[in-house]
Amino acid sequence: MTFWQTRLGSIALALVFCFSLDQFALHQNSFIQRLVVLAGLYVTLAVSLNLINGITGQFSIGHAAFYQVGAYTTGSLAGAFFNKAHLPGPAWLILMMFAGAIGASLAGLLVGLPSLRLKGDYLAIVTLGFGEIIRIVVQNQKALGGAYGLTIAPRFQAIWLVWLLAILCISVSRNLLKTAHGLPFLAVREDEVASSAMGVNVTSVKVTAFLIGSAFAGAAGALLAHFEGFISPAMFTMDVSFIIVTMVVLGGTGSITGAALSAVLLFYLPEKMRDLSDLHLSTIVAVGICLVIAVASIKRLMDHFHGEPRKRAGFMAGVVMGAVVLVPILGALLNNFDPLKTSVEGSKLRLVVFAVTLIVLMLLRPQGVFAHHEFSWAWVRKLFRGTVKAPEGVA
Amino acid sequence: MELSTLPQQLINGILLGSIYALIALGYTMVYGVLKLINFAHGEVFMMGAYAALFASWALGYTPNNALTGSNPVNLIVMLLASMTFCGLLGVFIERFAYRPLRTQPRIASLITAIGISLFLQYGGQLFLPSSPAPNIDGKVNPFIGNLEVTLAKGAGTSAAAAADIQSKAAVAQKSYDDWKLSHKGADEFNLPADGQALLNVKHDTDRAVRDLKDRGDSGSLKLSVPRGQFIMLVTTVILMGMLTYLVMFTKQGRAMRAVSHDFDAAALMGVNVNGIVTFTFLVGSALAGAGAMMSATFLSGTKIDTFFGMLPGVKAFVAAVLGGIGNIPGAVLGGLLMGVAETLVVWLGYDNYRDAIAFVVLIIVLLVRPGGLLGSSKVEKV
Amino acid sequence: MKIQTNYFSWQTGLATLALGLGLIIGCGSGDKAADNGATPDATKSAATDTTATKRPAPTSPGVKPSGDTIKIGVIGSLTGDQKPWGEDSIEASKMAVKEFNDAGGLGGKKVELLVGDSASKAEQAKSAAEKLISDGVIGIVGEVASGHTIQIAKSAFPRAIPVVAIGATKTTLTDEGTHVVRVCYTDDLQGPVVAKFAYEALGLRKVGVMTDNKQPYSQGLSKSFSDKFKALGGEIVGESFYESGQTQFSGQITELKAKNPDGVFLSGYFTEVGPIAQQIKQAGLNVKLMGGDGWDSPQLLVSGGDAIIGSFFCNHYNNKEDRPEVKDFLKKWSGTHGGKEPGTTMAALGYDATKLMLDALKRASVAKKDYSSRDIIDALNDTENFPGVSGKITLKGNGGNPPKRALIVEVRSQADGFQVFRKAYEASEVTK
Repeated sequence: MTFWQTRLGSIALALVFCFSLDQFALHQNSFIQRLVVLAGLYVTLAVSLNLINGITGQFSIGHAAFYQVGAYTTGSLAGAFFNKAHLPGPAWLILMMFAGAIGASLAGLLVGLPSLRLKGDYLAIVTLGFGEIIRIVVQNQKALGGAYGLTIAPRFQAIWLVWLLAILCISVSRNLLKTAHGLPFLAVREDEVASSAMGVNVTSVKVTAFLIGSAFAGAAGALLAHFEGFISPAMFTMDVSFIIVTMVVLGGTGSITGAALSAVLLFYLPEKMRDLSDLHLSTIVAVGICLVIAVASIKRLMDHFHGEPRKRAGFMAGVVMGAVVLVPILGALLNNFDPLKTSVEGSKLRLVVFAVTLIVLMLLRPQGVFAHHEFSWAWVRKLFRGTVKAPEGVA
Repeated sequence: MELSTLPQQLINGILLGSIYALIALGYTMVYGVLKLINFAHGEVFMMGAYAALFASWALGYTPNNALTGSNPVNLIVMLLASMTFCGLLGVFIERFAYRPLRTQPRIASLITAIGISLFLQYGGQLFLPSSPAPNIDGKVNPFIGNLEVTLAKGAGTSAAAAADIQSKAAVAQKSYDDWKLSHKGADEFNLPADGQALLNVKHDTDRAVRDLKDRGDSGSLKLSVPRGQFIMLVTTVILMGMLTYLVMFTKQGRAMRAVSHDFDAAALMGVNVNGIVTFTFLVGSALAGAGAMMSATFLSGTKIDTFFGMLPGVKAFVAAVLGGIGNIPGAVLGGLLMGVAETLVVWLGYDNYRDAIAFVVLIIVLLVRPGGLLGSSKVEKV
Repeated sequence: MKIQTNYFSWQTGLATLALGLGLIIGCGSGDKAADNGATPDATKSAATDTTATKRPAPTSPGVKPSGDTIKIGVIGSLTGDQKPWGEDSIEASKMAVKEFNDAGGLGGKKVELLVGDSASKAEQAKSAAEKLISDGVIGIVGEVASGHTIQIAKSAFPRAIPVVAIGATKTTLTDEGTHVVRVCYTDDLQGPVVAKFAYEALGLRKVGVMTDNKQPYSQGLSKSFSDKFKALGGEIVGESFYESGQTQFSGQITELKAKNPDGVFLSGYFTEVGPIAQQIKQAGLNVKLMGGDGWDSPQLLVSGGDAIIGSFFCNHYNNKEDRPEVKDFLKKWSGTHGGKEPGTTMAALGYDATKLMLDALKRASVAKKDYSSRDIIDALNDTENFPGVSGKITLKGNGGNPPKRALIVEVRSQADGFQVFRKAYEASEVTK
């Protein structure tokens, strides 16, 4: 296949995917629609942060700030101009996406510039602080609705656009990695001084990373504003930033595939937990104890099976099975103690499960689920045929 | 913005900053030896407040059965309970969450720290009393009242005017009291017209007396520190002194500095690196515990919930970075600066930006000195 | 170099192509949605302009009850700061539904109550509402906090699902649409009532205000209090702000003290009011403290200690009131709660809100066999003289805001009964 055939093919596929997802979601209830939209936005956020953190090796933990700048830029523009613009909905939405992206990338420039002088943890705290400053400033602006929030006049539900943005973000990241343009970014990640010695303009690379990353976050913010029809500073707190960072790291820092998939997973997990029924405290404690035992034994004993994937898998399966058997037994035993007899509402466990997943995954696989690997067809072929081929993924 | 309140605000700032400094020390010490931002440190602080709460309950100061009167021994028991518990918790977290990841990229430990922080915040809600949020009973604090220093006396008022107004007030009070005596059972808040008229006169004269006193006080400069918070400051200073001695003049301290300087070389020189890391977590977390106990006890009524450590944790982290993370005097300086900056913002009339100023100061300082105030920014060699 | 050109052309190519295509297709689908404006699913990409008219009516025909039971949702905070209110209101709601079912339900059909947790956060309230709506509820009772209720109202609008707010006092709440009504008073009553009480009964003239900048409720209440107090002739000598979560308020208090106020109005929630009261006393500022219904929790006494005793706040009703509805409610509540009285007034309001919803449901089903949630909205807005625990509720002609009484209570120790009734104000006394 020629170059353009592949490209046009993938663009067409992406469009088909987005619109079929749109059609699918429109026939679902509004709860599912919301999940689909927010999942798409989180994919964009995680992949765009991955560009800054994973690919360029900077350490930004204030991504929610750009999300917020995008949302509020469009929020105030929509309030002022939507009724005068006479644009059809989607055209307006795309225009707003660009507006949000520009607003956020200006903010990104603002944060990116000090990053020239700062490294690692210092940069992290500056990005975090920037997020908080933006939130507090917005909270104190009467024109932006203060703590109460800002109502955005036209509410749109454009699921296709949300996912198109996500795919655009993924493809920009991917193509950056696949071309010569991405190499400086990787070089800066690996070693700033050395890459500078090799003639890489470290300054421009870092600023570019911040610009692109924040622009996508801003566009996502614009879509969020128009989807929710209402934004408030409470939607962009530090927790949101932390969750995005977590998505990136859990997926494997630097892996686009990992960022995208863990964004969907980590967003879905707490939402799914809403349905959890009430549990006895004893059961929870039992699960906790078994989890600790399982993780500890895997950590301790896994090294014995180094290089023997089958035995490894067998051992893992054995530990998991053992834990599953142990939980009800231990639970029944613990249920004899009075303080553990109380029942706990399942919904309270949502973020506990989230936290435990995080800790366990990090302990068992500190490099992230996908490490630095990317999804590739070669990898799929290997999975099915069992033959080993050189992975296609970059770095 | 009034110049007369500035000295008082500076004192408020130092009191606030001393707690930030105590927490910041834990951040900075851990960073010094492991180069790890211990995001769970704020939650250790939170658990310290709970430990103090339970200790106060064990001493008999429960909400239903509040004893009256207390003595400093109770406070010392609470302080030790909180410090011990936090120290052990810190060691436990290090042993089981950070040590297995020590050979991995630091970001993995960082995410684990976020995980532990979330786990303590939300998992704590299952086991700890959090809503309605409890608080340590104010009666456990034997140090009530204020320490006051008068720097300048007020303008004062003429005795004649004062006597006139006070006699008017006395007359109004008397006529209202007489009316009340003759109208037994009258509801003070739903009076008939004649009673209400008398009450209004009484209110007017009372206000005149208050105004007179305020005018007399105008220009006076008084500093006041709640006795309890003064004790808090003294304790903080003692703890910091002990820490300085520990780090500078003991064998453990020397080993700690060696590990901080070069982890691997220290190990080669025969320093028990794991022991030192454990010790660092023990000391740093215990300091956070002391801060938690004191801020929950001496700011009476402060609610304790599982998010108690979030805001102080972030601010202390900022303080540590401000002073130069890894640098112990830097953390103290950063903490005090943060406290003073916060109250100065309030003094300037921008109360609503109180939580933002921390970060503004930080960004400005880092732009000028990228390594923090007392830190050194080393260029990495290849 | 070749790669570079490729990269640029294809990247820009992708962007323009995708967006261009999106524009064309998107416009198409947008127009389609506009054509099918009458379809039940109004959430389709058509824009819903909520600001054009005051109190817009939902256009969707509404949801019809399906299945063996009639589902109604209640939303409250089961976790977080507002848990005392959430628990009380949900308990009361369950009680009201059980009573309704025990009395025979709706023509033999039972009502099923689904509970959503808003976890003291606005976005969680929204998620909970969408979840309930997707589970097929035909009405939502809740929430206690205004910020949360607004999110619920926004989610309920496209499906024309009625929302009966429990304790949400923000005045503009009912502008969201005709589907939102409440059983409590608004901040337009509450703030001025406290202002009037402070000016007339307490004889205060110079008052400082402390606002929790993170809570929309507090901001609104501070404003309505200040406006009325100034209109009466008083002076607001100082305004301070804090954010919930802060623990040390000495900076703000020092500034307030320098202004020599006669009283301080604390418009925040009880979680911060207690420590603030203690620190105000510690700073040597001996003045009257006042607040709104955000103070309403026995926890206030624990966190406020002696410093809060003798302060005043505005509340919805009082357990000591001598009305049959109050006595009946307290009897039922203490029967299922080991003889205890409800800790907060949100129990009574939650009970009223649920009863009102069930009453409207009954009226709608009587009037029309094939009723939908939209008919319940109409029935709700036609309510006249509904005998609630917190007083009579009349929604007809009132735009969703029933005129109610507001009571000023004094904070006393638990032994003296915590809230001691001082003075009642009718809505007409305060608002012009």
